[in-house]
Amino acid sequence: MTTTDIMTIATRPRVENRPIRRILGRPETGALVAALAVMIFFSVYTTTFLTLPGAGVWLESASTFGIMAVAVALLMIGGEFDLSAGVMTGFTALVVGILTTQFGVNIWVAAIVSLAVALAIGALNGYVVMRTGLPSFIVTLGTFFVLAGADLAVTKLLTGQVAIQGMTKVPFYDSIAAFFGSSLTIGGGVFYISVVWWIVVTIIATWVLLRTRAGNWIFAVGGALNSSRQVGVPVMKTKVGLFMTTSGAAWLVGMISLFRTSTVQANTGVGQEFIYIICAVVGGCLLTGGYGSAVGAALGALIYGMVFQGITFAQWDTNWLRTVLGGMLLLAVFLNHWVRRRATGGSR
Amino acid sequence: MTVTLPTTPATIIEVNAIGKSYGAVNALSGITTKVNAGQVTCVLGDNGAGKSTFIKILAGAHTPSEGQLLIDGVAVTFSSPRAALDMGIATVYQDLAVVPLMPVWRNFFLGSELTRGTGPFRRLDVKEMKRVTVEELANMGIDLRDVDQPIGTLSGGERQCVAIARAVYFGARVLILDEPTAALGVKQSGVVLRYIARARDKGLGVVFITHNPHHAYPVGDRFLLLNRGTSIGDFEKSQITLGELTSLMAGGAELDSLAHELERAERRS
Amino acid sequence: MKRLFTGIGIVAVAGILLTACSGTGQATNSANPNGAKYTYAVITHSGPGDAFWDRVKSGAEAAGSNYGATITYNADPDPAKQSQLIDNAVAQKVNGIVVSMANPEGLKTSIKAAVAAGIPVVTINSGIEESAAYGAITHIGQSETVAGQAVGNKLNDSSLNNVLCVIQEAGNVGLEQRCKAATSTFKGTMTNLQVDGTNDSEVKATIKSKLQADPSIDGVLTLGGQYALDAVGGVSESNSTAKVATFDLSEDVVADVQAGTILFAVDQQPYVQGFLGVTALFLDSTNGNIIGGGQPVYSGPAFVTKDNAAQVAQFAKNGTR
Repeated sequence: MTTTDIMTIATRPRVENRPIRRILGRPETGALVAALAVMIFFSVYTTTFLTLPGAGVWLESASTFGIMAVAVALLMIGGEFDLSAGVMTGFTALVVGILTTQFGVNIWVAAIVSLAVALAIGALNGYVVMRTGLPSFIVTLGTFFVLAGADLAVTKLLTGQVAIQGMTKVPFYDSIAAFFGSSLTIGGGVFYISVVWWIVVTIIATWVLLRTRAGNWIFAVGGALNSSRQVGVPVMKTKVGLFMTTSGAAWLVGMISLFRTSTVQANTGVGQEFIYIICAVVGGCLLTGGYGSAVGAALGALIYGMVFQGITFAQWDTNWLRTVLGGMLLLAVFLNHWVRRRATGGSR
Repeated sequence: MTVTLPTTPATIIEVNAIGKSYGAVNALSGITTKVNAGQVTCVLGDNGAGKSTFIKILAGAHTPSEGQLLIDGVAVTFSSPRAALDMGIATVYQDLAVVPLMPVWRNFFLGSELTRGTGPFRRLDVKEMKRVTVEELANMGIDLRDVDQPIGTLSGGERQCVAIARAVYFGARVLILDEPTAALGVKQSGVVLRYIARARDKGLGVVFITHNPHHAYPVGDRFLLLNRGTSIGDFEKSQITLGELTSLMAGGAELDSLAHELERAERRS
Repeated sequence: MKRLFTGIGIVAVAGILLTACSGTGQATNSANPNGAKYTYAVITHSGPGDAFWDRVKSGAEAAGSNYGATITYNADPDPAKQSQLIDNAVAQKVNGIVVSMANPEGLKTSIKAAVAAGIPVVTINSGIEESAAYGAITHIGQSETVAGQAVGNKLNDSSLNNVLCVIQEAGNVGLEQRCKAATSTFKGTMTNLQVDGTNDSEVKATIKSKLQADPSIDGVLTLGGQYALDAVGGVSESNSTAKVATFDLSEDVVADVQAGTILFAVDQQPYVQGFLGVTALFLDSTNGNIIGGGQPVYSGPAFVTKDNAAQVAQFAKNGTR
């Protein structure tokens, strides 16, 4: 199974071991193997990693990255990037924080307003990208800077500070916090509800991607835009929808971090966008679009969370943290790439 | 390759002195031909002869600035490629409108997916789509066991055939093929020509765009020759031989003067 | 299957290599990591490669090695991630946590959880107001308000009239407080200037253009040692006569104070914060002592001026002041 040459169909041999080959050919297989490797490594190397309290920590760490990575993976499969995804998580939380603490808006209304604003910005991102034909990299970089500046300026202007304080005193805080910031203690381990959101988002994204028309269109617009247009795929709708999905996910993560910590800083989320892209790529997404998986991106985030917290559990000098993270991520990508090459018989 | 033509083949498309100009530039003018059911109309011409403008008019991507387009004897103006498609005119472009990384069956139904269930549970009918794909390809004489493989792993000719089979399945009466053999080797071209004949035998009208008379002549029933946006002839097969077609295409005199020019240019430098 | 094992092998080898590397960074502890009786986690809101926090770390590690305790140091400027680091320490069942609270509300849940789990917590640097309420045994740091007010008075003494307050980090409540407090006692005008602290040349450029735009500015107050140097550069390049004063020290700042290019520096003594933070936990672990009697312990402000700069310079060279 080294090379599949181009042969006419009649002479192409039946591929042996099809089920195994098919599993290995899935984009997320490499990430799964890498995740297991990382997990086994830290479980053996540290005593705390594979305990309930330990798992609670790395699952939480992975969850918010995971939600974003899944959304960003869909966008990347659709052939676009969103560099404003990171700052959007801070922006949505700030909208809620400012509306409630400064203007006394009902916290549920504020959350819904925040979602609407996020979706509108996502739609605008998508619309501008599609209308102008500019690379989404540039367009969303612009949005990123606009939002990052607005976050700081508006927060400072209205609150006189650079972080929202006093969220817990807002009426109905607890009622909404139950949805986004609550936790469950099992055997000494604290498990946040964000992990549930992460799993739910991954399941929905996988369903959409593999079993709906929208999913078919996402692969198509990312794989070959002109072809998709020619066969009648609603390209504009699909891409704008993807940008809106990403900003919607950023809203979810914004709410989770707001109600987990009851505060949000003006610089929250800045720089996180690349981590989402890294997780998606570790999870098997091609940077060029048209290929990838939501489960893979979720696994990519899991790897990131495990490495991030595992290094702390291992009590390594954290001056090396980024180096170790970078090395681990490279390894994961190599492993992933290697597994995929094997699986596809070198044809990709 | 014996073909039993209907005694009086029904004319699907009639092109009447059609032309297209972009501002002051005349891209195409005075083109007249027709496409009959169960016949192949070949459009021949060099690069820049106006072939792509012509097919864009047929496909509904451009509206003609002069002349008439009749479908089943009725004059029509297409507002979009979708409108042409709705009248049964399907175009297979050079890039085939396929997504290389997607499985064959997903490509086959792209944009017209079959679904089951309603509301949020509306989902792709994967089983049925795979079944239809296998069946339709088999009808075209393609035996593809694994329709789950990415279409990019198929050869150029095979991809071309999947695109043709797709157009046929989705109710095309007229198939416009934009240089399907241009990028293919001799053997693969043969495969594609065979499928063109098969589509024709199913009663479809085929518009076959090419610059290769050796590809056009064996399958063609009618030949439209274009040069610099004008028609230099619209022949039925009985009116022209392969030799005549080739020499008309090559534009003998023009080539001679070109050769002369090149020679002089070489000497000068 | 073979692939899986190869994969694990690769990761494992990498891990071993990296541990070997990290060992050199922790020479005092890694010799016998499991022999130490106590393990304390120091968790700060520092960004990577920050000179100030390196002194806190040095102080904590010096105390750790004096007392034979293992010190783990972790930092993240994002309160949500800093919370996770606290949760992580709780999961590891450390004997105590030293934490800096730049954004106290963001850490509330995790600190309270740590206290509830029976782990003593000492807060350092910032978060003086919330420390006791969250259940910390004490706070070691400098009141930004007290320090800021002292700086305002000191600027009055130098008879300055129009001073810039340079904020290098968006989102740090403590920095905002410093400027606010300095403004409250300062008799002239004080304007805040937001700069991007991760990019020193840009900090310099921003200060420079501000000075060029408003020649009446006669003083620049920076909130971190390295930004004072940027400000000195900005002042000289814009041909301004503005005097530079700064919070926090570095070896270069001390040298500039000695040379007179920096008016004065306020030292909140980060080494003390790390050292005393661990000491407070150690005293609690071994003898049940609570230092400060429930009140915060001030680590500063100490002013470094031309008069005492030579003495401080010696310690600054060691990276402890």
